[in-house]
Amino acid sequence: MARETHAVPGAQFMDPAVLARIGNLELISRAVADGFINGLHKAPYFGASVDFAEHRGYVPGDDVRRMDWKLWARTDRYYIKEYEAETNMNFSVLLDVSKSMDYGSRGITKFEYARILTACLTNLVHHQRDRVGFVAFDDEVVEYVPPSAKHMETVLHVLDRLKPGRPGNLKKPLHKLAEHFGRRGVVVIVSDFYEEPEAILDAVSPLRFRGQDLIAFHVLDPTELEFGFSDAQPFEDLESGEQMPVVPEAFREEYRSLVTAHIDALTRSFAGVRVDYTMLDISKPLDFALYRYLGSRAKMMKVR
Amino acid sequence: MQFLAPLFFAALAGLAIPVLLHLTQREKKQIVRFPSLMFVRRIPYQSVRRRKIQHWLLLMVRMAALAMIILAFARPLLDSGTIPTGGANAREVVILVDTSYSMGFGDRWTQAQVAARDQIAQLTASDRGSVVLFGSGADIQLRSTAERSRLQATVDSATPSPSSTRFSPALKVAGSILAESTLPKREVVIISDFQRSGWRGEEGAKLPQGTTLTPVPVQGASDKPNLSVTGVTFARSAFSDQQRIVVTAGITNRTEQPVKGSSITLEVGGLTVGTKPIAVEGGSSTSVAFDPFTVSGKNMRASVKLADDALAADNTFNFVVSPIEPVHITVVDRGSAASALYLTRVLSIGTTPKFEAVFRQGDALSDEDLRKSAVIVLNDVEVDAPLARRLARYVEQGGGLFVAAGPRARWPQDVDALPATIGPPVDRTRGDAARVGALEYGHPVFEPFRAPRSGDFSSIPVYGYRNLTAAQGSQVLARFDAGTPAVLERNLGRGHVMVWGSTLDVSWSDLPTKPVFLPFIHQTVRHLAGYTEPEPWLTVGQVLNTSAVAARGPAAQRVVLTPSGRRLPLDDEGTDVLELTEQGFYEIRGDANQSDGIVAANVDPAEADLTPMDPREITAAAVGGDDGSAGPQAGVPLTPEAKEKNQRLWWYLLVAGILLLGADTLLSNRMAKA
Repeated sequence: MARETHAVPGAQFMDPAVLARIGNLELISRAVADGFINGLHKAPYFGASVDFAEHRGYVPGDDVRRMDWKLWARTDRYYIKEYEAETNMNFSVLLDVSKSMDYGSRGITKFEYARILTACLTNLVHHQRDRVGFVAFDDEVVEYVPPSAKHMETVLHVLDRLKPGRPGNLKKPLHKLAEHFGRRGVVVIVSDFYEEPEAILDAVSPLRFRGQDLIAFHVLDPTELEFGFSDAQPFEDLESGEQMPVVPEAFREEYRSLVTAHIDALTRSFAGVRVDYTMLDISKPLDFALYRYLGSRAKMMKVR
Repeated sequence: MQFLAPLFFAALAGLAIPVLLHLTQREKKQIVRFPSLMFVRRIPYQSVRRRKIQHWLLLMVRMAALAMIILAFARPLLDSGTIPTGGANAREVVILVDTSYSMGFGDRWTQAQVAARDQIAQLTASDRGSVVLFGSGADIQLRSTAERSRLQATVDSATPSPSSTRFSPALKVAGSILAESTLPKREVVIISDFQRSGWRGEEGAKLPQGTTLTPVPVQGASDKPNLSVTGVTFARSAFSDQQRIVVTAGITNRTEQPVKGSSITLEVGGLTVGTKPIAVEGGSSTSVAFDPFTVSGKNMRASVKLADDALAADNTFNFVVSPIEPVHITVVDRGSAASALYLTRVLSIGTTPKFEAVFRQGDALSDEDLRKSAVIVLNDVEVDAPLARRLARYVEQGGGLFVAAGPRARWPQDVDALPATIGPPVDRTRGDAARVGALEYGHPVFEPFRAPRSGDFSSIPVYGYRNLTAAQGSQVLARFDAGTPAVLERNLGRGHVMVWGSTLDVSWSDLPTKPVFLPFIHQTVRHLAGYTEPEPWLTVGQVLNTSAVAARGPAAQRVVLTPSGRRLPLDDEGTDVLELTEQGFYEIRGDANQSDGIVAANVDPAEADLTPMDPREITAAAVGGDDGSAGPQAGVPLTPEAKEKNQRLWWYLLVAGILLLGADTLLSNRMAKA
């Protein structure tokens, strides 16, 4: 399985915290993506381009250039050749830049992790000659780079400038974006999904219903998972600023179970609408996320 | 509650310390910025709340401990050992009931009792009442009790007394009861006929601040007239070696209606000796003289009585009559008529008392003379040592000795009895004559000359006198203008010795020819003889000195029979005085139950004047303008034990504070472990 690929030469992806210290996103993404590609050169699904899929009968209106003349010669019937995949698909990353993403307990924030992830994915996809696009949102669309084969540099540049600042809300920006994405493609959502599972589902549904292939990356700091605080302290919500006295010892178990329940609920909900959902612990290297992406791509192709 | 060290309350600011500690501790704790409290918020609030309450508890415990310790250091002092009882409306009511004899007029006393019962009936369960009966003094019958039945019984059993009305002692007593009260409301009710004579207005009777004074005037009317005997006077005369007395009684009609056809009776020794008809116009006075009667013995009881009228107590006037005993004097002189002329003349005048003087030459003075005489006068004679010793002994046993130190006077040096050493004569015939001055007017001899124009000694020229030197223990009563003592007195044993530095004839001074000579000699003899005029009557409320009435025997063996027949043994604590509380005759009996003396007691005639006053005058004086000094407890000095007891609270507070600190430690430890 892809998770056990640490032994693959050249695939020792650097610790995200170390990567975060390198300012140049392009350099990072290239380094990560190149190494990744090199290590996966035997991957059977990667690089699938204009593969023949099937023949179908000609109907008036079809492009005569796609007519299989050889088959006509043999059978005296008109057939159109159909190909396996769209080679130039649209690939967009929707990055949550709400304030809650600006949190990290291990030297890297969720935002930085998500940014590197985005850069890497963009780089990877760009090398596949796909069109890359990028959207940053909190409770509004903050940045929008339309998908294009030439937009990788722009995407990296925009990524570089981004700073999380405002409270987030998935529904409003995602519904808006669903209307923009006319052409089917792959949409990756990177967020910490601090909303009720129903609300999240409601937010992503329009995208899904318009035929986008959705991949959801749920980035979480290990502290958010473990709640490893010890002293009784007041906690402040990064987005709302609300403060609460918290006694971690008394809260921990309940908190963990609530987070687990949340993740489980998301997994179930996303699975229900055939969205590929992955929870990413930002203390873990990026390769896991990338494998996950590619894995999901493979699954989709199989399904299709 | 008061505090001995209220400055410590400044430390209450220290109560902020635990609060600040709690707050700063909270500040110090870094606020954890967490992406979302979405899940934290879902954790049941109860657990958060419980934690908070525990913190509050800790804070409260710490603050309470600090407050207790500060309170302890402020040394709280309880104002009273008792906690005030009753509600905010509990009253301390003092009911002052006038029991002067004027309350016996008409139905006043019945009205007063009804009014007092009404006041008692108004007391609620939380109230406390006191009953004070007052006349010239005030007597607390029941002090601050909630038992209404006892208060009622006290009022029911009270009767008017023969005393006169005085409001101020009653108000002072009421003030003292109220000052000790812890109840919030204080009231004084005066039930009286409010006679003008009972209030002089200057007596400083102030009730504690906030006291309500309610006067309840009783004005019982009567259709009967009210006559009163205001006093009697005596006119004594001698009739064939017996003394006869004419008694004249003064009668006043206190009402407006004239009295005719009534009579007045004189009783002596229980027998009626005369009755006279009287007629008195309304609001006027008259006097009635009875026929003379013979005073047959000592201490005869006599009364003047009027017929019954609206006020009975002032209808009888009691007095005691006795024949006046003469004062026996022995004058020792040279036997010359000229030297004793003035003295003889002076001593022959006078009826109260009568002086009976005998004249002896120095060597003829017998022991019998000494025994009979109350006073010995040495009129410029030479006294040898044996005579001097006899005279000294005589004085020590209670006799009086008067020495006129003329040119021949001589007293042996070795007999120390005179108040002065008799020095050489001083001749003032040339130049200005000597004058007598610097009189000791406080002395009984010179007391009659105290007032202006009551005799002038300084106008008397003295041409010669003996240079007297005051002896140890003597008193100079007058001096010559050169400063030499002129009159001296010395107490020797039970008697007195006086020395006059000049003669009692005209050879050395003009004194015998001057008007002051007679009163001077009379006063001197009376003083040396220890003569006091017997009082024919006293007034109820006065104090009777039994030893003055009955000279014989120690007080412990005397018994006083009161008019009501009670026997009052005079205790052996040396008290031989007695306050007269009844109208009638008090008899003093010595050992063997024989009568030593009789004293008549009469009601105060001023009380018979029923002219009322405006009670508001008393209210204004007793309640208005409080000086603030009469707060609660003002007049009640606390014993040291009570003071200590009242201050002991600090100890408990300190212990409570320490216990709270212990509880705080336990609590915080437990919370830390939790």
